[in-house]
Amino acid sequence: MHYAFHFNVVWDHWHDLAEGAWLTVRLSALAMVIGLVVATACAYAKAAGPSPLRWTIAAYVEAIRNTPFLVQIFIIYFSLPALGISVGANEAALAAMVVNFGAYGTEILRAGIESITHGQIDAARALGLTRLQTFRYVILFPALKTVFPALASQFILLMLASSVVSAISAVELTAVTNSLQSTTFRPFEFYFVVTGIYLLMALGFRAVFGGIYWIVFMRRQRS
Amino acid sequence: MRTLGKLFGAALLTIVALLLTAPGASAESTLDKILSAKKIRVAIDVANPPFGVLDKNGQPDGSDVAVARQLAKDLGAEIEFVQVPSTGRIPALLAGRADVTIASISVTTDRAKAVMYCNPNGALSITIFAPQTVKIKVPADLVGKRVGITRATLEEATVPKMAPEGTKIVWFDDLASTVQALLSGQVDAAAMTAFAEKTVADANPAKHLENKLLVTTAFYGPIVRHDDFELRQWINTWIFINTQNGTLAAIYKKYTGIDLPPLPIF
Repeated sequence: MHYAFHFNVVWDHWHDLAEGAWLTVRLSALAMVIGLVVATACAYAKAAGPSPLRWTIAAYVEAIRNTPFLVQIFIIYFSLPALGISVGANEAALAAMVVNFGAYGTEILRAGIESITHGQIDAARALGLTRLQTFRYVILFPALKTVFPALASQFILLMLASSVVSAISAVELTAVTNSLQSTTFRPFEFYFVVTGIYLLMALGFRAVFGGIYWIVFMRRQRS
Repeated sequence: MRTLGKLFGAALLTIVALLLTAPGASAESTLDKILSAKKIRVAIDVANPPFGVLDKNGQPDGSDVAVARQLAKDLGAEIEFVQVPSTGRIPALLAGRADVTIASISVTTDRAKAVMYCNPNGALSITIFAPQTVKIKVPADLVGKRVGITRATLEEATVPKMAPEGTKIVWFDDLASTVQALLSGQVDAAAMTAFAEKTVADANPAKHLENKLLVTTAFYGPIVRHDDFELRQWINTWIFINTQNGTLAAIYKKYTGIDLPPLPIF
């Protein structure tokens, strides 16, 4: 292959890349927070809700976990206007990411909840804790601790999967890269550098999760 | 730390040495390789009617595809299609996945910095179109409107320059998404070739889509990698012969419905 690398072209556009990376980080972090709320609510309802609700949630989880993310994004972005809801590409991307992470999160939390032995729940009841208190202190908190590494991995996957939202014109890191490579005709340089940026972001998020785990679960245990 | 630095230096040198020596060293040109293997790899974009489409059987069709097939036939080579999205037309060539890209790539000086153009084999216009209800008569009407364009196309190179400040330009990765965004109302208007526009408008009569503005008219031609002069010269010869005998004009007319304008050479 005969190819002369010109990495200075990438440097000329670092500002655009930084803006794209920042949107990727914001979308991912927001989707993670809202998605976790959705997942917790679904996991609670699935464990303790009435059966029609449990079936609905099971259907939601299976539908999302067994269809491609790209298709989910297209459905949300292209079908919402037909329902009279006007959303921009970023909002549609965020909605798709929340819906996606919510389903995977529900399943991960379910595994954590099932790891709590029934004796603990009986003990909580015997001590006079309400249903919600039992769920919060005896089930959710230890369950979260158990599945935290799995949730963190799923989040990294979500952040990496966000690269496909460029398809609906959200201007995140991959979209910026696609535009830059198609106007500068330097595909290798840009894709190499952007691969590095994704790697750094993934490692950065991993470090943040390590910190959160330590603050929320380890420190509390010590005191 | 010093050992690490040395290791890094050694790794870097190895990579540089590999890049310098491995490929360019062979004296065999791309044309020689095509002739000896009796196979040519052509990058095409099948999401760009009427130049490249998939027919009912899922086979590539369209004016670019017809040109590529005839070219391979005259070359005495079997054709291998490399299907790429519009953003992949130049990268596929640079990465060595294809020998030539025949995907109605309009001639621009920026693109010529990355690849080498053969002589033009067709012409196209870029227009902005929208539903009847959207009022666009002059470029100034675009202010505040969302205009969808496809990355790595002539529209991406021209629409942002002609659109007045305040136009909301929305980028998509392929033409299908741009069209879908227009049909679903995620954008107010979209820019594409006049031919693609006609295909979309004919397929969706209920939307009352109409041509609003002419953006530009351009010639397009096959592209090869820099340095592939032998292949380029053969393709130019082929274009010359098939302009003279009317083959190119017949293909163009068959797929676009209009007469091929006189083709310039350079």
